[in-house]
Amino acid sequence: MSNDDFRRELGHTFDDVAGSPSSNLRDRVRSAVTQAPEARGPYWIAGVAACVIAVLIVGVLYVANRPNPPSLVAGGHETPSASPSPEATASPSAQPTAVPTQSALPPFVCGSTTWAPSQPASTPYTEHISDLRTGVHSGYDRLTITFDRMPGQVEFHPQSGTAFTLSPSGMRATLKGKNGILIVMQGTDMHTSYSGPTDVVTGYSGLAEVRRVEDFEGVVQLGLGVNGAACYRAFYLGSPARLVIDVQTAS
Amino acid sequence: MEQRPQVLARAVEGDADSFSSLLEPLLDQAYRLAAVMLNDRSSAEDAVQEAAIKAWRKVRQLRGDSGSLRPWFLSIVANECRMARRTRWWSVIKLADVKSPAAEEPESHSDLHRALLRLTPDERLPLVLHFYLDLPLEELARTLGVSQSAAKSRVYRAARRLRDDLTIEEVF
Repeated sequence: MSNDDFRRELGHTFDDVAGSPSSNLRDRVRSAVTQAPEARGPYWIAGVAACVIAVLIVGVLYVANRPNPPSLVAGGHETPSASPSPEATASPSAQPTAVPTQSALPPFVCGSTTWAPSQPASTPYTEHISDLRTGVHSGYDRLTITFDRMPGQVEFHPQSGTAFTLSPSGMRATLKGKNGILIVMQGTDMHTSYSGPTDVVTGYSGLAEVRRVEDFEGVVQLGLGVNGAACYRAFYLGSPARLVIDVQTAS
Repeated sequence: MEQRPQVLARAVEGDADSFSSLLEPLLDQAYRLAAVMLNDRSSAEDAVQEAAIKAWRKVRQLRGDSGSLRPWFLSIVANECRMARRTRWWSVIKLADVKSPAAEEPESHSDLHRALLRLTPDERLPLVLHFYLDLPLEELARTLGVSQSAAKSRVYRAARRLRDDLTIEEVF
C-alpha cells in the first residue's frame, strides 16, 4: 500500500467510525453553555468553602500543637526522692495572680526532685528566662522565675552548706545562709531575655540569696542560699510561664 | 462583522453567546475526535457537550489569542473522553453490551479499520489530530500537551501500529 493509499484509507476509516454529528449538536451545546453560568456560582463557592475549611483546619492544628504552657503544676511530673515535710500553713500569695489555693499546692520536700515535661518538645529549643522575683510570705519565701515558654527538665538538689561550683569556670562561690538548693534547668538560657541582676541577696529569713551559678550551652543553674532547712516546693504556672519555688521558713 | 478577538474578549468576560459562537466552528472536529476516541457516536456527542460546559467554566484560563482556542478546546474534549471511559457507568453499560469478536470486527471492515480499533483511545488521539483533522504540528503538540518533537514521535509510533513499514517522512 502506497503512502497516499494509506492516508486515503485511513481517512475513510475515520469517517466510518465517526460518521457525522447529529444536526442538533450545536443547539445542545449552545443550550448547555447558556445554562452553565448558573453552575459557575456553586463551583466558585465550593472553592471558597474549601479554602475556608482548609484555613480552619490549619488553625485548629496550630492551636492544638503549639507549645502548651500549663496553667497549674501541669508542666511536668515530679519524681521525688525525698519524703515530704509538714505542710505549710501560710495563706496564698497575692503574686503571682494565678497561684492556686494553699490546699492545692504540692507539699514541701527536703530532697532532690526532677521535673520533666509531660510532653517533650518535638524539636530541641532553648527557653529564655526573662525575670526573677523574690518575695516573703508567711511560712515560706518565694522565688519566681519567668520564662518565654516552659523549660525542659528541671532538677532541684538540696545540699548542706552554701558553696556552689560556678560553671564553666570551676570557681567556688559561697552564698549567704546555712544550706543551699541547686536548681538545674535544661534547655534554658538566662542572657537572651534577662537583663537583671545575677546575684540577689534578699535578707529574708528563709531565702537568703539567689545566684546564677551557670548559664552555658543551654543549661542554667541557680544556687539558692537558705537560712533554715533546705526544704522547698515547686510548681509551674502559665500565662506567663513561670516556675515558682517556695523555700519553707519557720513560721 | 465583529472581529474574533473581540468575541473572545466578550466570552472571557462571561458572554455565553459569544463563547458559543466561537465554539460552533470547532464542534464538528470535536465530535469526530470524540467519536474516534470513544468509538461510540452517542457518547461522543455527550462528551463534546460536557467538554463545552467545562470549557465555558474555564474560559478565563484560556491563554493567548483566539488561535489558541482550538487546541485548548480539543484537549478538553480528549480529557472528557478519557473521563468518560473511566467512569463506572460507562464500564457497566458497555459490559452489558459485550459483543462477540466477530460482531466487533465484521468482515466488511478493512484490516486498517480493525487495526485502528485495536489501538487504545490515547493511541488513536494523535492519529485523529494529524491524519483526520489535519492539525498543524504546533496545534497538535498543544492539544496533546507535549513538545512538537514528542508529538511527532507519538503520531509516528501510533501510525506504525497500523502499518509497520511507514517511515517518518511518509507521516509528516
